[in-house]
Amino acid sequence: MKLSLTPKLSTFLKPSLATNLRRSVCSSSLSRPPPTSLKPQSPLFLRPPIHSATSSDLQKWHDWAKTLASSIGSTFADSDNGPDSTLLCRELKWLIDDAIEEEDEEEIENDQRKIRLRVALEELYLLWKQRIQERRPFQYIVGCEHWRDLVLCVQEGVLIPRPETELIVDLVGDVVSDNEELREGLWADLGTGSGAIAIGIGRVLGAGGRVIATDLSPTAISVAAFNVQRYGLQDVVELRQGSWFDPLKDVEGKLAGFVSNPPYIPSDNISGLQAEVGRHEPRVALDGGVNGMDDLLHLCKGAAFMLKPGGFFAFETNGEKQCKYLVEYMENDAGGSFCNLSIVTDFAGIRRFVTGFHK
Amino acid sequence: MSSFLHRKRASRCWVVLCRNPNAETQFVRSVLFSTLHEPQPRNLNKPPKPQNATISIESHRILDPGPCSFSPKTSKTLPGSLQNVKNSFASAKSSGFSSNLGLPMVKSLFGFHGDLSRCSLVRLFGTQAAQEPSTSDGLTVDRILNSEWPILTEEESDWKSHATAIAQSIHLIKKRLQWKKLLVRLDMLSVELNKPDLWNDPVHAGKISREHGSLMGKMKEVKAFEQELLEHVDMIKLAREENDVELESESMKALLEMRITSKEKETQALLAREQDPCSCYIEVQSGAGGTESNDWASMVMQMYKMWAQRRGYKMTVVDEMPGEIAGIKRATIKIDGEYAFGYAKAEVGVHRLVRISPFDSNKRRHTSFAAVAVTPILGDVSAHVQINESDLRIERFRSGGSGGQHANTTDSAVRIVHIPTGITATCQNERSQHQNKASAMAVIQARVDQLEMARQTQKNAQYSQSLTDITWGSQIRSYVLQPYRMVKDLRTNYEVSDPDSVLEGDLDGFILSYLSASLDKDEDDR
Ligand SMILES: C[S@@+](CC[C@H](N)C(=O)[O-])C[C@H]1O[C@@H](n2cnc3c(N)ncnc32)[C@H](O)[C@@H]1O
Repeated sequence: MKLSLTPKLSTFLKPSLATNLRRSVCSSSLSRPPPTSLKPQSPLFLRPPIHSATSSDLQKWHDWAKTLASSIGSTFADSDNGPDSTLLCRELKWLIDDAIEEEDEEEIENDQRKIRLRVALEELYLLWKQRIQERRPFQYIVGCEHWRDLVLCVQEGVLIPRPETELIVDLVGDVVSDNEELREGLWADLGTGSGAIAIGIGRVLGAGGRVIATDLSPTAISVAAFNVQRYGLQDVVELRQGSWFDPLKDVEGKLAGFVSNPPYIPSDNISGLQAEVGRHEPRVALDGGVNGMDDLLHLCKGAAFMLKPGGFFAFETNGEKQCKYLVEYMENDAGGSFCNLSIVTDFAGIRRFVTGFHK
Repeated sequence: MSSFLHRKRASRCWVVLCRNPNAETQFVRSVLFSTLHEPQPRNLNKPPKPQNATISIESHRILDPGPCSFSPKTSKTLPGSLQNVKNSFASAKSSGFSSNLGLPMVKSLFGFHGDLSRCSLVRLFGTQAAQEPSTSDGLTVDRILNSEWPILTEEESDWKSHATAIAQSIHLIKKRLQWKKLLVRLDMLSVELNKPDLWNDPVHAGKISREHGSLMGKMKEVKAFEQELLEHVDMIKLAREENDVELESESMKALLEMRITSKEKETQALLAREQDPCSCYIEVQSGAGGTESNDWASMVMQMYKMWAQRRGYKMTVVDEMPGEIAGIKRATIKIDGEYAFGYAKAEVGVHRLVRISPFDSNKRRHTSFAAVAVTPILGDVSAHVQINESDLRIERFRSGGSGGQHANTTDSAVRIVHIPTGITATCQNERSQHQNKASAMAVIQARVDQLEMARQTQKNAQYSQSLTDITWGSQIRSYVLQPYRMVKDLRTNYEVSDPDSVLEGDLDGFILSYLSASLDKDEDDR
């Protein structure tokens, strides 16, 4: 077996900070906390390597896991666009990356190489069973999602950030690059979830730039806080709990920019979603009402009084239909208070984002 | 450092001879000349005897001579000489010399044996590239070659044999460095460097001065090596005249050591091109023919992965597109390490397999093809071709569906197309789309750079002819598993009867024989 053992901590900007956090946040129990728990779960790769297994036992697990993954073929893909064996095998490799501590000196016991693990071998069996049999998302299994150049901790109750959403940070990066007022201004990320967009933006703004990140879900707020700290952005990203504009009363008309990826799936579609999404991710993060536009429209309406003149906004949507609807709305019903409206496609060619400026 | 003494001795003698730091070569030579013919002119004539009587002559060797069983002729023993490079690297390291891993191993060797040159020769020859060095009695490297003295084994203490072997190596090294072209290019670069408006374009200027520095270094090194040979020959003659047994045996040792070193330098000279020290990408693509071909492509890829491991290179998979049933349709790996490109470039072309296919229920013999491309990763960012964002098309593969919040997938493969050149790159092995994009972008950059270099090379065809065929190239090697077993390189006819070892990455024999063949064939090139 070739285990690719990459030390994960090196991925972080502030390893010392990460280590400290690990110490303070690490939960001793491996079982999942109740969904209301405000104490974020420690992701696999940040747990201390207090377990161990012989290389042959680990090999046995790996063979078993691989066989299980291969047995899936394209069953999931055919039924609901889920992962196929190839993808599951890649996930298995990443699970090993996260679960194993690479060491310079090897421990040899009874002629067997000992491998240090961040999780007990039995737990590895359990986790992989959950992945395949329950379709528990891989990112909840390992407790993190690699997103842009970040590694964000996630857990049940918090939406796993999507690759499409990475582009919102690029869109913001583009507008602030030649506009100092926006670069040094106050921004908001509404419905921040894991804090992904807020952290991404916090890193492209100038020294004076600030982000307020809000969410209705207390779990999301605590996970986002954990991620913000891991990247040392406590002074840049401020978290506030509440529904949409409620916690932003004090900054009305002052925002230089405002971004959101609100729930946008039409309620009817929820039951037919891919198992990883429908069965495991929080409905409050997905369900956008009858046509999926409830929250988006609410945000559009608010944009005019939240943004200062010249302020920028970007929303993620469900696709072409919602994009067109929103642009039409902003042009006509919003009383002409916006300009430079545009629709931006994602890398899969789907019209995904609506952007524009407050006049 | 065991060789230090005789080096010191030799250089002390030299320093005495050219006490005037501004001395011209000509002058130095005449002084040397006169010292040999008029036994006692001043006290310049004889190098002082070693003061320390406990010096052991045995300790003069730096390199373990064990594996250095070189044939004196040329390059039949290439795998051995490669081994030798490694060994001597190891020994250089273990002796506390240049243990910095960032230092190319080839360079560390050069630096090691360049001791002598540092003391005085560099200054003398830096400006006198055309001057042919000779001994006091007019013996030059060419004359040594033309004398056709027999080359005996290394054990024989015969200075003529040693000198001839070394002279042959120098001859080969010069050929491999494309000596004449190198000198022409150096002149051209010197002219460029002296232009007053050079630094108006700092990027260009940087490039020119870097290339000049690097070629100059190579040229001086060979010159110093020639000079060292002639000095030792002089020294031996002097010792004989003076009946100085100790000096004679010391100089003989030094010659033997040079003879060993010269074999290593021969190998190093194979990797003297500008991009040779770079890391690189290796891409393998399966030929037509479905599963059997795909399986072959993955065997070829596996061969390179194991080769990289053997050489101690870091290997990462960038892109891998599996076949439907087995194997791969294509894959790209990144090989990080000194001289990865220099070696791997020898693998460019089509690789052919003949075997009874395990995928054929009728057990018929099949012939499959896999194509290999190799791209250097330029370390020097300023040498990169500027790529416009607007020239790129970035795509993501999706199995249909609405994406966004609807889908949770860990698959974030990205494909980038560079529209003006049609170059594409895919990456799906990173865990985020952003990182996949960055990796794919790095591949695009390297390929666009390579294309640009190929264009440049065509422009300067009179200087360097790139070994790298930018396209997939033609068939280079044949691997036969049945009915007989053999791997044969069609370019060099180098062959091996054990395909398993080759498929397990034992490629250096093929690589070095190809590199030497491609550099040595051109007879009048030196
Ligand atoms: C699609 S998720 C986006 C999460 C994160 N921004 C991302 O892109 O990964 C929508 C988020 O909106 C939050 N949300 C739902 N209703 C909300 C409300 N009324 N007020 C604030 N946040 C809300 C959910 O908790 C969820 O975190």
